[in-house]
Amino acid sequence: MSTVSQGARPALLHGKLARRFFWAAAAAAALALAGWTTPAFLTLDNLFVVVRAASTTGVVAIGMSYVTISGNLFALSAGQLSALLGIVYALLVRAGAGAPAACGATLVAAAGAGAAQGYAMTIVRNPIITTIAFGAVFAGIAALISGNGNIRLHNEIATWIGTMRPLRVPIQSWVFVAWALVSAFIVAKTRVGRLLTLSGENRLAAQASGLRVDRAAAFALAMLGVSCAIVAIFSVSQFSQAKADMFSGLDIDCIASVLVGGVALRGGRGSPVQAALGAALIALLQNFLLLRALPSGVRFAIVGALVVAATSGFHLLQRRER
Amino acid sequence: MLNMSHIARRYGAAVALESADLSVAGGQVMALLGENGAGKSTLVKILAGLETPDAGAIEIDGRRRRFHSPGQAREAGVGYVAQELSIVEHLSAAENVFLGDIRAGWYRSPRRIAKRARPYLDAMGLSHIDALAPAGDLSVGERQLVEIARLLSRSARIAILDEPTAALADAEIHKVENAVRTLVAKGCAVIYVTHRLREVFRLCDRVTVLRSARSFPAVDVASLDVDQLIEKMLGRRLDQMFPERARAIGEDLLVLRQAQGPGLRAPVSLAVRRGEIVGLAGQVGSGANAVLRLICGLASLLSGEMTLGGEALAPGSLRDAIARGVCFCSDDRKRDGIFAGRAVTETLSAPSLSRVSRFGLIDGERERGFAEPLARRFGLDPAHLRRKTGNLSGGNQQKAALGKWVGVDPRVLLVEEPTRGVDVGARAEIYGQLRRLANEGVPVVFASSDTQEVIGLADRFATFYQGRMVRMWNAADATPEAITRDVTHPEAAALAKDA
Repeated sequence: MSTVSQGARPALLHGKLARRFFWAAAAAAALALAGWTTPAFLTLDNLFVVVRAASTTGVVAIGMSYVTISGNLFALSAGQLSALLGIVYALLVRAGAGAPAACGATLVAAAGAGAAQGYAMTIVRNPIITTIAFGAVFAGIAALISGNGNIRLHNEIATWIGTMRPLRVPIQSWVFVAWALVSAFIVAKTRVGRLLTLSGENRLAAQASGLRVDRAAAFALAMLGVSCAIVAIFSVSQFSQAKADMFSGLDIDCIASVLVGGVALRGGRGSPVQAALGAALIALLQNFLLLRALPSGVRFAIVGALVVAATSGFHLLQRRER
Repeated sequence: MLNMSHIARRYGAAVALESADLSVAGGQVMALLGENGAGKSTLVKILAGLETPDAGAIEIDGRRRRFHSPGQAREAGVGYVAQELSIVEHLSAAENVFLGDIRAGWYRSPRRIAKRARPYLDAMGLSHIDALAPAGDLSVGERQLVEIARLLSRSARIAILDEPTAALADAEIHKVENAVRTLVAKGCAVIYVTHRLREVFRLCDRVTVLRSARSFPAVDVASLDVDQLIEKMLGRRLDQMFPERARAIGEDLLVLRQAQGPGLRAPVSLAVRRGEIVGLAGQVGSGANAVLRLICGLASLLSGEMTLGGEALAPGSLRDAIARGVCFCSDDRKRDGIFAGRAVTETLSAPSLSRVSRFGLIDGERERGFAEPLARRFGLDPAHLRRKTGNLSGGNQQKAALGKWVGVDPRVLLVEEPTRGVDVGARAEIYGQLRRLANEGVPVVFASSDTQEVIGLADRFATFYQGRMVRMWNAADATPEAITRDVTHPEAAALAKDA
């Protein structure tokens, strides 16, 4: 009897399947328990609510996962960059550029700001410090050009962009799902995605193979920039206002999503889809705690505990895999 | 003293050890031999408490033991020096001797620690080093000795040395061997894992061979010769380790004229011709590796000139060199040769992404079609292409590290220590592939501190000593003794010639 359990246990906890299994089991258990205790939780309507709730953090978490996979840990400038881009977008629309043109310009600026951080990172060799510094610059510019105030928008097209509901589902939810799928494809199937994973897996071997590691970092940060722009454009359009502190705390939420999703911190492994699922799981938990009407302090503590549990769980699994 | 029996360990579906026995008596050196992947490391890690066995028993002095952590093994008197050294570079040599040893006291005055470390360092033949100097200043061989001194300080009674000489040049190997003799003289039971058969004959009393996850009964080393030992390891006869020499040698391809770079004390002139394999023989720091690093763009040319096919060559980076068809494979494949966590296919195609992609997308079919012939050519099972590169044996990892360069159609291949940490079987295959490349018109230049390898593989080779090229040899005219003299003490060699 004991020999059977001894043989079966390591096999079960082994490899990719195990990681997926861990994820599915954790999610299924959480869902079952939640549905059982809180009937309002397991309804289709609530599912849409959760996806919508996850979408803002989720889109940026997907962007963040590019950075993690490229071997550059995290960027701590995502919140500030999003706010800056939101203000840029609002000012452009107010200046009469037209919402579509303003979207385009914001996306280009975002990619540029991202790539600049990526190249700087390669020189400084410390992603955390580099992005904190850039974050301060972004925050400064945002405060400067917004005059530290609320920029209000009165633009029909912008409002339409922010509030459309194809098939009665908010556009933000569609964008979240689509961005996850597109990003998964980019990382897994494109040449630049391969450059990203190889640079993240072994930076020195990538350099020795003649690969442009600096470009990998620039691309990853540019994708994070684009993610920030997406979030900024839809949020500003929806609420018709922009201000410098509109995305405070976003960085930490995104990092939590990437970690809960099980993207390997050391780089080279994982998929943006995992970050998206991480964001969804956190949103799910927050939604449940909200339905149970728990005070916000308790909600924060429980979500924090989830991050710790998931991160250490994945870490143990990855260690076993070796 | 130690008796391990029927030890088994599996990782998921993969069997690392099926059934292994190992017994060692005090004052005895037991060699543990086997190809990469035979289970040597797993077996010693189980004894060191780093892995737990699925089955089997460990007895020390007749008492049955089961270790759940390295600490428990340490308390039972087992000392382990891992392949990857655990020296803390910014701490002093003395601190490193007592690393992790609480008995050394909470308050550690550097002077007191140095005084306490001195006898252990002296016993290891390190009387010349300053116990207070940072360990980072020590050579690789000296660091190895500091680790063994650590075992001595903990009065370990069973010492496990996992390939202690893999990264060492010949001169330093002797020091490690003497350190082992010191352990033996103190009654220690030593388990010596190695790939170098010469050490087995010089140092070890008995040998246990592991093959395909099983152990063979230990035998006295004195009752074996080299061929018998290799046959035991491989389970087949290895007729010839080295391939035939060059069939046809063409015109000069890569030429160095009075080239001077970091790590060289005198300019080097050298011509590499199409179709040949050129060796650069020397100990660590001799300048042999510095020449390779100059050609591949890791170091910059300070004076003199280099040409490739008649055109000037002065690469500013590895990337520049690769663009010119000059490919470099370093002596540390884990560090910069392979992508351990990615599939073998991805390691093989890494320098050739443009060949396996179309319109910015990786073309899966094209990539398979690219990687399979490379794998076949290097004797890697194409069925393993989807495995993680890091899960292959050391020899197969080396094949992947080299194979990735064959895919870019190089003009010259530069290799540092082509078979470091590679088992005998894979070694012969790698030599064969390098020769095949040379025959196809891609000359190979390699640096090596293994004299047998230099004589066996190269058509011609240069010897290096303390940053200077000593002389050029035709491999057919050279003897191991002559090379050893050149790379350890060329002045004596010159005297011998004059006499």
